[in-house]
Amino acid sequence: MAVALVTTPRPGVKHFIGIDFDFGALKNSGRRYWGFIAVLGTFIVLGGAAWLLYFTHGGSVMAMRDGSPWGLWFTNYMYYVGLAAGGLVVYASVHLFGAEQFRPLSRIAVLLAGVFVMMALLGIITDMERPWRAVWMLLTPNPTSPFVYTGSAAGIYMVICFVDLWILITGFGGEKLARRMTLIALPVAIYLHTTTAFVLSMNKSRELWHTAMMVPIFLSSAIASGIALLLISAYVLTKVTDIRFKPSMFRSLSTLLSTVMIIDLFLITVDVLSVFWPTSASSGHTLRFAEFLSGRYAWAFLPVLILGFGAFALLSRRKTRHLPAVQITASVMYVVAVLFKRYSLMAMGFSYTTLGQKLPIYFPSAAEVFLALGILAFGMLILTVGVKVLPMEVPEYEDAEVTSL
Amino acid sequence: MVALSWRSPAGSDRRWLSRVLPLLVLLVLAALIALPSLSAFAGQAASGELFYYPCSSCHPVTMVPGTERPTRLLPNDFTGHKIVLVGHDKLGEDDVACLTCHDDPSRDPGKLKIAGGKLIDIKGDVSQVCYRCHSTQYKLWKAGDHGKGKPKCTAAGCHDPHTPGWIYAQPLQPFIGSGFQFRVLSQREAFSPLAPPAPAPAVDTPPWFRVIVVLGLVALGVQIVRLVLGRRKQ
Ligand code: HEC
Ligand code: HEC
Ligand code: HEC
Repeated sequence: MAVALVTTPRPGVKHFIGIDFDFGALKNSGRRYWGFIAVLGTFIVLGGAAWLLYFTHGGSVMAMRDGSPWGLWFTNYMYYVGLAAGGLVVYASVHLFGAEQFRPLSRIAVLLAGVFVMMALLGIITDMERPWRAVWMLLTPNPTSPFVYTGSAAGIYMVICFVDLWILITGFGGEKLARRMTLIALPVAIYLHTTTAFVLSMNKSRELWHTAMMVPIFLSSAIASGIALLLISAYVLTKVTDIRFKPSMFRSLSTLLSTVMIIDLFLITVDVLSVFWPTSASSGHTLRFAEFLSGRYAWAFLPVLILGFGAFALLSRRKTRHLPAVQITASVMYVVAVLFKRYSLMAMGFSYTTLGQKLPIYFPSAAEVFLALGILAFGMLILTVGVKVLPMEVPEYEDAEVTSL
Repeated sequence: MVALSWRSPAGSDRRWLSRVLPLLVLLVLAALIALPSLSAFAGQAASGELFYYPCSSCHPVTMVPGTERPTRLLPNDFTGHKIVLVGHDKLGEDDVACLTCHDDPSRDPGKLKIAGGKLIDIKGDVSQVCYRCHSTQYKLWKAGDHGKGKPKCTAAGCHDPHTPGWIYAQPLQPFIGSGFQFRVLSQREAFSPLAPPAPAPAVDTPPWFRVIVVLGLVALGVQIVRLVLGRRKQ
């Protein structure tokens, strides 16, 4: 973005790899900004201590056991990968379909996507206990394991996001390159969500996972939660920075959100019905599903439907849906609903062993919780600093052809 | 003959063996046949014919309160039927189960309960007793599909009403006796989820981590309070 170079002769701006890093903004930021950074820092320290615990004590400090070999990290993996999708959809619709109203969001969207995939990957790496062994996965991949595909897709996607961010900020290659990057990023993103769904759907022994429906459900809930998160972040940005968005952009975003939401809710309802319908349910299905409708996991599954349909209802009331408060509430409800959905999806498979033995409910241990919070805080830290230091505001009348360096 | 062989001098060992062996085989066979009828179901009729009929030779029977002794002396000091229900034990605890089919022993248990609260004689059409609870099976039997050509559910070749998974067998011809029972239905277990697997080892949280967590949470609390207060000042 050549314009920024000329118009920001402020002190503290460092020009590096074609980007103006505004470190001066950090110095000028108030005590509350640093207070927030300190909170994040404390969480990161606690997360670091938890990771240290993983190294020194191994799996015994986690609540994952034979019966439920995947835990909070996997819930978060699915969740973060999904949240990253919103960024891509918005970014792609700008550069591929000319949805100009979303252009002001494109940088923050791509930054969010990159950081969330990074958090997903950090979850895998920390869970490995001996992360250096990840090398072996790269050297001797097991082609029948979906983790190989989703893991590598996440890695590639993260790199694409950060390269994209750089292209968007520097304007390198102009609109043409941005468009081409979208053409790469979009299939990779679909591949990422599909292979993440495969992790569940290719398990024949866990009835409720073993459905091709997992793939569209993953895509739709990824996009819905991602857009909801983007909407929340855009509001937060207008509060903490002097970036402003037009109300019409929020309106378009929430219309898009409610559309994807209802598709997502439709898919999950149809899946629930076809799994639970008396004439089609096998005993394993019924047994597991009953746990989620009325049994031990109802607290995790019912909110998915209640919050989900509630959020849709909020956004579909014509009189109130333009109000920021309504849009934010609906978005927060859906982001939370999808978190519950991820946990439910994972727990469904582990509520009974493959032999049909009832398992105690999985609840993450303190070490797992603090590690997850630490990773989240780390991602938030990158976002908080990034928003200050990186030029996040997209110039209003940017002419892509001229700004290419 | 055995005794003879026993006394015969050494050297005729083989002849002794050849005589005893058939006898041993016969004994074992007889024991095998006798065993099933002797063991668990001794005291229950195995022929489908009534052992205790007429019931009125003892009933109505009342017991001396608080004891296992009938108020009047019964033949052979009889104190009660030792009938163990198998399968139909689901019908209730102890005597309660008997009373789902039989009338009260202090009246005439030779009367059996059928649908509609009516009573029929034990020599009557007892299949109606089964009809109360197994109407499908009963209809199949009536139509001739189940228990082909048998006159009633409890005839020889059919169910013992007390251990319905077992079948009355007619006495085998060269032997004379009460016959025996054999099991036709495999022992079924009602469905229930398997027992949970062995409890997983507990989560281990070393003390130093707890200390760090507590310190961290205190620090967080202070920071958040300051953040919130700072906002109020603004
Ligand atoms: C030899 C005497 C005798 C005869 C014959 C007899 N019973 Fe009984 N019966 C008893 C005694 C003794 C009891 C114990 C009463 C009690 O426990 O209240 C009893 C109890 C019962 C009970 C209740 C079960 C229990 O343990 O309390 C039933 C049912 C029963 N008899 C059925 C019959 C039927 C049916 C017949 C005819 C086929 C019959 N009995 C013939 C002596 C007899
Ligand atoms: C499912 C219904 C049912 C139950 C429960 C039941 N009976 Fe009977 N019982 C019968 C029928 C039917 C007969 C007649 C058998 C026949 O016609 O061959 C009978 C016969 C008898 C007889 C006479 C047997 C003989 O050989 O003379 C006695 C004694 C008896 N029952 C006692 C009991 C006792 C004691 C119990 C409880 C432990 C009991 N019954 C539970 C249905 C039942
Ligand atoms: C008061 C109800 C009732 C009556 C009357 C009754 N039954 Fe049953 N019967 C049951 C119940 C309850 C079971 C146990 C079902 C189970 O285990 O799932 C059963 C089980 C059986 C079984 C399967 C037993 C096994 O070991 O699996 C047979 C065979 C049977 N009954 C035959 C009869 C016959 C023959 C009669 C008539 C003499 C009869 N029943 C009368 C209630 C009754």
